[in-house]
Amino acid sequence: MSSDFEAYEQDFGTITAEVTNKIGRIPKLSGEEKTQLVLNVDKQLEEVRELLEQMDLEVREIPIQSRPMYNSRLKSYKGEIEKLEKDFKRSRIAYSDEVRNDLLGDDAGSSENQRAHLLDNTEKLERSSRRLEAGYQIAVETEQVGQEILSNLHSDREKIQKARERLRETDANLGKSSRILTGMLRRTERGKNGPAVMRSSSRNGFFSSSPVALI
Amino acid sequence: MDNSGKEKEAIQLMADADKKCKTSGSFLGGMFGGGPQKVEEACEMYCRAANMFKMAKNWSAAGNAFCKAARLHMQLQNKHDCATSFIDAGNAFKKSDPNEAIKCLNAAIEIYTDMGRFTIAAKHHINIAEIYESELVDIEKAIAHYEQAADYYKGEESNSSANKCLLKVGAYCAQLEQYQRAIEIYEQVGANTMDNPLLKYSAKEYFFKASLCHFIVDELNAKIAIEKYEEMFPAFSDSRECKLLKKLLEAHEEQNSEAFTEAIKDFDSISRLDQWHTTLLLRIKKTIQGDEGDLK
Repeated sequence: MSSDFEAYEQDFGTITAEVTNKIGRIPKLSGEEKTQLVLNVDKQLEEVRELLEQMDLEVREIPIQSRPMYNSRLKSYKGEIEKLEKDFKRSRIAYSDEVRNDLLGDDAGSSENQRAHLLDNTEKLERSSRRLEAGYQIAVETEQVGQEILSNLHSDREKIQKARERLRETDANLGKSSRILTGMLRRTERGKNGPAVMRSSSRNGFFSSSPVALI
Repeated sequence: MDNSGKEKEAIQLMADADKKCKTSGSFLGGMFGGGPQKVEEACEMYCRAANMFKMAKNWSAAGNAFCKAARLHMQLQNKHDCATSFIDAGNAFKKSDPNEAIKCLNAAIEIYTDMGRFTIAAKHHINIAEIYESELVDIEKAIAHYEQAADYYKGEESNSSANKCLLKVGAYCAQLEQYQRAIEIYEQVGANTMDNPLLKYSAKEYFFKASLCHFIVDELNAKIAIEKYEEMFPAFSDSRECKLLKKLLEAHEEQNSEAFTEAIKDFDSISRLDQWHTTLLLRIKKTIQGDEGDLK
């Protein structure tokens, strides 16, 4: 009994393989050949269904212990058949590449479009990378300019600080000298009758040698 | 028109001032009586004459006039004015006779250092060094003056200005192949600047220069040096300069001058290498080719 089942299985295998093959070819063909193939496939599907029914009967005659295994196999075969039928239906209305090519011109045309596209994209990429590089260059130059400016600022800072210090010193010195002068004035006024000429000339003499260059 | 008239006036003034000087008698005579006043007047006349010469663009005559004024100031013990006049003379001579200019500037520097005004003295050392750089092209003397200036600035705690001078010294030393000195200077400056927030962005430049000098001396030195700098200053390892150095080291190890040139071209395409860098890199490249022994 089981050997019959196995023989049926083998037949099933070969027929389903053929059917799959033909279903694959159907979309590419058209007209006479297509209708012939379709009829062929129809017939083979019917054969396969009959095979399945016979397998079913066989399984019923098998003792109950080994039935589950054969049952499961049967189920998988049924699933396969259903799938094949669906594929078959789809293939009959499927569009193939051929049809598209017929509509849009021949093969060479579409591949050229693709080439043009790719070239375009490459150009865009190159342009963007050139712009990025230019941007990077500018950033680096900016950094260098910044460095110079910073070091100039630093040295200017030192100069200004020095100048401030000197100014404070000068201020202190001037304060001292004016105090000395007022002291002198008081003394001269106390001692003599205030010689005005000496006063003005002494004031000039003190201020002529002041440090002018500060930096 | 105006200027030539000025020149004649100026010459007239000089002659008058000369006479005044002579009439003030001998040195002793000049000390007493109306002497000083006359000398002062003569001084002033010399200055005016010099200014007029400047207007007429007769630089040497102007320089001479300022020099005479300066000597008179010296007699009068006016050190400040004397030095200022010498500086004016130096500036005037810069345009006509560099050697005279340098003499005048040196005299002025002596007076300033005597008075203790080191900052100004340093500034004028820089001026002299610039004259040596540009007009007389005597790099050794220029280096000497820059060094002197840097020392004075250091003494006055103006580290920025000192660094500027030191950098120039370093650049010229490397040009003259005194690499050890250049290395010391750059390392010193780099170490000083890397802590300062204002200056740390320039620090990597200095380390790069130091590494280049190391490289010329010996490749192994360069490697050790670069590692040292990376330890001291982590930001250095991120910089493009560091990456360039590493590529150059590799190329040098493999004696591959093409890879060397390519790495340099890469770097140059983003930021141009200046004259100094190009010269040093060329020297390094020659050592590669020298080792290979063939002409390229």
